[in-house]
Amino acid sequence: MRDETSIIGKSLPLIDGYEKVTGRLKYAGDIPPLQRMHYAKVLRSPYAHAKVVHIDTSAAEALPGVSAVITHKDEITGKKKTCNSPWHDFSFNFRGPMISQEVCYVGDEVAVVSAIDEDVAKEAIKLIEVEYEELPAIFDMEESIKPGAPQVHPWGPNALDPSVFEWGDIEEGFKEADHIIENRITMGNQQHAPLDRNSCMAHWEGDKVSIWTSTQALFWIRDAVTEFFELSPNKVRVHSTPTGGSFGLWWGNNFMFLAVALARKAKRPVRLILTRDEVMTTVKRREKPLIDAKIGIKKDGTMVSQSYRHLMDNGAYGNKFDPYQSVADIYTTKHGRAEFIGVATNLLPAGCMRGVGDLTLAYAMEQTIDMAAEKIGMDPVEFRLKNHWQTGDICHTSQEVLFAKLLFNKTPEVELTSSGLAECISKGAEKIGWKDKWKGWGKPSSVDGHKIRGVGMGISTHISGLAFFGFNGITLKVNPDGTMVLTTGIGRMGQGGDTTQAMVAAEVMGVELEDINVVDGDTEVVGHTMVTFGSNGMHMVSRATKAAAEHAKEQLLEFAAKELEANPEDLDIKNRRIYVKGTEDVGIELKELMSKPIYEYLAAPEVIGSASKGVEFHKAGKMMMADFAEIEIDTRTAQMKVIKFVAYHDSGTVVNPAVCENQVAGGYYQSMGLCTTENLVFDDETGAILNPNFMDYKVVGPMDMPDPEIYFGEVYDEDGPFGAKGIGEGVTCAVPIAISSAVYNALGVRIDPPMTPEKILDALKSKGR
Amino acid sequence: MEYYSPTELNEAYALLSKYGDAAIPVAGNTFFMGHREELFDEVEAVVNIKKLGLSYIKIEDDTLKIGATTTLNELFNHEITSSGDYKIFAETVNELNINEVRNMATIGGEVCIAGEVDMPTTLLAYDANIIIGGSNGTRSVSMQDFHLGYLNTALETGEMVVEVQLPKPIENARGGFSKFERTAADLPIVNVAVRLALENDGTCKEARVSVGAATLAGVPKRSIAAEEILVNQKIDEALIEKAAVASNDVECINDFRASSELRALWVKCGVEDALKKAIAQG
Amino acid sequence: MNSINLKINGEDCPVDVKTHWSLAYVIREKIGLTGTKTGCEMGTCGSCTILMDGKPVFSCLRMAVDAEGHEWTTIEGIEGDDELHPLQQTFIDDHGMQCGYCTPGMIIAAKALLEENPEPTESEVRKAIAGHLCRCGTYVRIVKSIMNAAEIARS
Repeated sequence: MRDETSIIGKSLPLIDGYEKVTGRLKYAGDIPPLQRMHYAKVLRSPYAHAKVVHIDTSAAEALPGVSAVITHKDEITGKKKTCNSPWHDFSFNFRGPMISQEVCYVGDEVAVVSAIDEDVAKEAIKLIEVEYEELPAIFDMEESIKPGAPQVHPWGPNALDPSVFEWGDIEEGFKEADHIIENRITMGNQQHAPLDRNSCMAHWEGDKVSIWTSTQALFWIRDAVTEFFELSPNKVRVHSTPTGGSFGLWWGNNFMFLAVALARKAKRPVRLILTRDEVMTTVKRREKPLIDAKIGIKKDGTMVSQSYRHLMDNGAYGNKFDPYQSVADIYTTKHGRAEFIGVATNLLPAGCMRGVGDLTLAYAMEQTIDMAAEKIGMDPVEFRLKNHWQTGDICHTSQEVLFAKLLFNKTPEVELTSSGLAECISKGAEKIGWKDKWKGWGKPSSVDGHKIRGVGMGISTHISGLAFFGFNGITLKVNPDGTMVLTTGIGRMGQGGDTTQAMVAAEVMGVELEDINVVDGDTEVVGHTMVTFGSNGMHMVSRATKAAAEHAKEQLLEFAAKELEANPEDLDIKNRRIYVKGTEDVGIELKELMSKPIYEYLAAPEVIGSASKGVEFHKAGKMMMADFAEIEIDTRTAQMKVIKFVAYHDSGTVVNPAVCENQVAGGYYQSMGLCTTENLVFDDETGAILNPNFMDYKVVGPMDMPDPEIYFGEVYDEDGPFGAKGIGEGVTCAVPIAISSAVYNALGVRIDPPMTPEKILDALKSKGR
Repeated sequence: MEYYSPTELNEAYALLSKYGDAAIPVAGNTFFMGHREELFDEVEAVVNIKKLGLSYIKIEDDTLKIGATTTLNELFNHEITSSGDYKIFAETVNELNINEVRNMATIGGEVCIAGEVDMPTTLLAYDANIIIGGSNGTRSVSMQDFHLGYLNTALETGEMVVEVQLPKPIENARGGFSKFERTAADLPIVNVAVRLALENDGTCKEARVSVGAATLAGVPKRSIAAEEILVNQKIDEALIEKAAVASNDVECINDFRASSELRALWVKCGVEDALKKAIAQG
Repeated sequence: MNSINLKINGEDCPVDVKTHWSLAYVIREKIGLTGTKTGCEMGTCGSCTILMDGKPVFSCLRMAVDAEGHEWTTIEGIEGDDELHPLQQTFIDDHGMQCGYCTPGMIIAAKALLEENPEPTESEVRKAIAGHLCRCGTYVRIVKSIMNAAEIARS
């Protein structure tokens, strides 16, 4: 059922657009310094694995202007793994002590200093003498899980226990298959590379600490600080500012703990601003996958069995044991198995980045499926239309299944609420001109001298939030003039979450978007809100936003009913006015109702709507996407360029088309980076990152790619508020599939991302070109 | 770290002599500020040379003279360096897509950086002379001899680049510049500049093929083999191809930015592209 | 310390600076105009772009001590008294931003372009902002915002 809406579905401007275009929006580094504030700098390990056998900070401490120095000797060690959800540990790149005597990757913290200004802090860092004893380091996942391999870090084994999902009978499944296709894929190391350099300012007043930082994970930071420093939530106040891009980077990180601990020791406010180098090499990267895929199909193209073994390079402190999503369900098979193993290496910690799990596993799956389709000579579009996931199918690998098992030892079924894949696949194929351009497997669509074109496509899916992200507590307060204040803990990272949540409230309340102020980012003010990731904002958080607005509306209608001498259920609000349904000329302006004293109280009404809502997990709404690419390889220069790109996505109702198009375009550009130029390069010998900046970590710029063509297959999702699902993360997932498959069709060689000119050159040589 | 902003050349030379290797002359700021963290402990004196009257583009005695502190965009926009014999300057600058850097970076700075920048490659193809100033007067060093290695030049203590000179090109001279990058706003991975002097019948009298950014030496190098193929020949597509193939006499660096094999391919393609551009000028 | 007088957005700002301090640092930390962002501090992201006598430069690559004697314009200096600069308005209307971090630099670069070339083609717009990254990948609508502002300014 589609709703009639007046706000939802419009490309209304961002509510913080004015602050952004005038430079007034404050990211964490823009917050004015507090009185007596000092600045922090970090001394970092030059070794991938070493023990600090001696550290002398006396010269640094003696430097005028230095207020505190912290090393492993301070033994700042929080409680470990005691919280109900292991997620808290992931977000902070789990480790024992805040600064360990054993450093586990190049860039690991050795000491941190606070001083009167950054120059003095830098000088103090140089005065710290450290003697290291080098330990064996491992940079390769497969080496790391071999028996007898040296331990990457002093706690826990190198490989976490596998997460295994099984359904049907996998061996039986492969017996039923006419063809079995096996494949192995990997990728480079993508980094989130937001433009903003994050900062954390901490200030203790007595036993209470306040923190200011840019994050998408407001309450996690509170909970993590609470647990690490053994404080009551009453003693920790986190102020989150918008992030200058996050993409999964700014959840929580040890650098925030450093600021908190320094501020306590220095007895003054302390701010730690990361350098560009630190943003790129000490926080997080997308985990590098190594995936073995095996797929069984019938001669007619029916998939019968699928199995995956997904190794994830967690780096030194990543703690992932599954890829967190449910992508293996994008094709329905009777039999399946998926195994995920998080592996530690002495490299930069890894963790979630936009499209996590789905991007890597869907890529492995889709390449293998292409190989299967090729085996039986089937068009990839046809294959996918035959096998894709549909409304009501079961989500076998949903992370919720895993968490139900972990927390309650139960194995529930989770059902898919809606799938627009059929439309996305078939209409996307039309938009790219598939019929004309597809010439068969490994065959170019056209050859013009040294320019060879090929087309490719791929599908993927992504969650629209996960229930265990928690409850959402939202309020909507109505001011005397009928304007309103929405409080929410939604993160602001460019996805327009504040705007779209306000649109939901405005829609319910029958007012304009401009009537609603959003107050966010303060743990003392807003209710607990899901950490803003996993594309949960529109599909999950806004259930509470909508309910809070409905609660406020209910109160308004009750007051209005008295005023209008009507039944509340006969009233509604539109255009800032409450009216009697059927006789619209009878009514009262919201402003009048809210400012007028009521006789019984001799006062004007006060209206606050509130809702606290969890999300039942038995039904899952997932976004779906089909991407199509036409690329051109120049056989002379070994360069690849995109000619045309079509993104056909189903995110349910499109709440704000401009916001959603920006998200899809952003996913395309980021994943094009992953496909071409983005790759953290680790030195083979030292494990140090050789390209820790935009000079050499090449993000796609305004001249590099053609604009994508963006379309939405708006399938109404019965579970999502106004029929909406999530959008933010999934937009990256199918891009590498489409590009890699287009490259295959142009060249006849499969190349994993990043598809560099070097790899294309090798492919050309292998084909004798 | 001291800051000086002299208004007389002698004053600047005195400062450079006084501080020796611990002094750095700056004009556009881009190199110094881009590397300030690494340079912080080495540099004791920053000498701003922008107020010495070294921003000019002029032709004197048939010689093109460009003051060291002339910015890339000044070269791009100036009549002398954007048309006619010297339009290769504008063409070279045009291949740097970062407008803000073009407004700041200077020709003197690019000459001294010697590594992953474009202008020295072009200057090498145009037989430029670098005019070096110091307390003992000025001296001229050819572009070829000026670069000793990556970030290493013929400048002695107390000296700085004050001017770049180009002899008047032989008649019917044409230039071409080409470049390969990873993205449109990047350091060059390979750049190539060529200069051809053609007889009226199209015979190539003189050829320069200069390769930058990619070389093992870390500084622009001429492909003598490619030049030899071109000289005394009429240039057609086949000859261009032959010259391009011959440019593999320039050894390429292998690093994380690009493999030496890829760079060698791009040098070949770059030579081909630059020669075609030069010929197309007609 | 060197004492200098910076002229920013038409105002005199006397300030003491160290030689290695960038203009971006001084503008943000000493003068308090935080609309100028510093994403990389090495001239590779474009977020610190400001105008020097009308021309765009990276303020992170500019020594503050060498900034005297020019008119500097930051994002805070381009609004009119009662209304936004047309570029600011079209960036809002056309959604030429997502997280907003690159926005001040983009608008400043676009302002310089439109003053030099009031009728830019799309490829000229792209070239003018080529040194600017938008990690949110908003290029489609950033270009659209600039093209629309040019059109508004012409009409």
